[in-house]
Amino acid sequence: MNILLCCASGMSTSLLVSRMEQAAQEKGVKAKIWAVSADEVNNHLKDADVLLVGPQIRYKLPQLKKAADQQGIPVDVINPADYGRVDGKKVLEFALNLI
Amino acid sequence: MGGLVGFLEKHVMPVAGRIAEQRHLQAIRDGLILAMPLLIIGSIFLVVAALPIPGFPEFMANLFGEQWQDKLLYPVNATFDIMALIVSFGVAYRLAEKYNVDPVSAGAISVSAFLLATPFTFSFTPEGAKDAVDVAGVIPAQFMGSQGLFVAMLLGLVATEIYRYIIQRNIIIQLPEGVPPAVSRSFVALIPGLVVILVVWVVRLLIELTPFESIHNVVSTLLSKPLGLLGGSLFGALIAVLLVHLLWSAGLHGAAIVGGVMGPIWLSLMDENRKVFQADPSAELPNVITQQFFDLWVYIGGSGATLALVVAMILSAKSAQMKSLGRLAIGPGIFNINEPITFGMPIVLNPLLIIPFVLTPLVLTVTTYVAMSTGLVAKPNGVAVPWTTPPLISGYLATGGKISSVIMQGINFVIAIAIYYPFLRIWDKQKLKEEQGMEQPSNQAAV
Repeated sequence: MNILLCCASGMSTSLLVSRMEQAAQEKGVKAKIWAVSADEVNNHLKDADVLLVGPQIRYKLPQLKKAADQQGIPVDVINPADYGRVDGKKVLEFALNLI
Repeated sequence: MGGLVGFLEKHVMPVAGRIAEQRHLQAIRDGLILAMPLLIIGSIFLVVAALPIPGFPEFMANLFGEQWQDKLLYPVNATFDIMALIVSFGVAYRLAEKYNVDPVSAGAISVSAFLLATPFTFSFTPEGAKDAVDVAGVIPAQFMGSQGLFVAMLLGLVATEIYRYIIQRNIIIQLPEGVPPAVSRSFVALIPGLVVILVVWVVRLLIELTPFESIHNVVSTLLSKPLGLLGGSLFGALIAVLLVHLLWSAGLHGAAIVGGVMGPIWLSLMDENRKVFQADPSAELPNVITQQFFDLWVYIGGSGATLALVVAMILSAKSAQMKSLGRLAIGPGIFNINEPITFGMPIVLNPLLIIPFVLTPLVLTVTTYVAMSTGLVAKPNGVAVPWTTPPLISGYLATGGKISSVIMQGINFVIAIAIYYPFLRIWDKQKLKEEQGMEQPSNQAAV
């Protein structure tokens, strides 16, 4: 299970990554989770099973969706409230449901 | 205020999205990003060369000789002073990527086009001579840095547009039968680059007939100078700050969107200061508004100067939600990351908290601008401090160790607390009520 997160510079999503890793461990899910900036996404898509987008760059969704569709992986915007609370558990579930 | 939120969602967001997604602006932004790590690396050398520690210059001179400073600045010359060259490649590369044509070739052609626009002469006045002589056979370093930035960006876009247009048109050269197809393909591969070079060459020849003399002069007179005046003014800064925070209020990354347009302008203003500072650290710096002006003095703790809000939260919040949010947000906040606040509190689409979120940075823009332009506080000297550097340290590094600028960050922080505090109290009370209501379901207030 490979979960790719992206935001403007990959900073605030990296905050979420550590929380999601914790949640994955608790759940016993084996997952590779990492965050990149929006301009690097294309180089990472081929390693990902799902792409999650920070709500602050949701205007990029159409473009990211196109790129993700080419790789045949699902993509969606993270719920802003879960994002703000850095709720690793909820976002992990969200990712698992997308796949 | 509910009307404002509706307005943001309905009108601001789609426009912002379109601007942010515009492929040429995106290519410019991503192309500039290519140069940023180099500027930060160059900055490290610049900081060391001008460390404001008594006795340090003498110590270095003893250790490495009188020329130590010049030697320390070699990497600065190979980072800051070639940023246009890097951007020329970067912009073309990123744009070609978006068109799915070979980005490396597009980047190489763009660099060539940029150099073709630059006369390989240097005007030099020998000692004792009255008139300057043109020295031939040099690539003038002055145009490889920020001074050539706009030409590099423009030609990067134009060259790549021509390049991909011709490739997508799929031009074929018919060679006589018997000629191996690979030979004709190798000729075809040359056409896009050849057309780019021809176009830039003809433009240069035409401009040489006018009083402008070079493409660099045209772009500087018509584009970079007017844009610099606008972007470097208090008015321009306030408009930019207002837009950034209105966008954030709608939950969009305002700094990334506005910075995509303003980035090149603020970067060249920053580099103007850097050149003056490098030549003479005690000289008066020309610009107040640079990239660092916003990152370090206005956006303390992230857009909206929310570190003040977080600290106020930790010190005074009574509701469990705000207390725990304060603890969650302080770590990232010190490094100017504030999504836990903007989305977690939330400020986004929250009519009450949008008020101080927009107001605070506008006020800080004015206070900082006034303090710096009157000379009370040192201006940023062009050192490219990463925006994730914690406040106080960042102010020290970005002004060559001037304490006035560190104090200014402190003053701005206090102003921000004063503006946020009343709004935090209202919000905190509301949350406290909700929490108490949850404990006693019979008292639950209507939402």
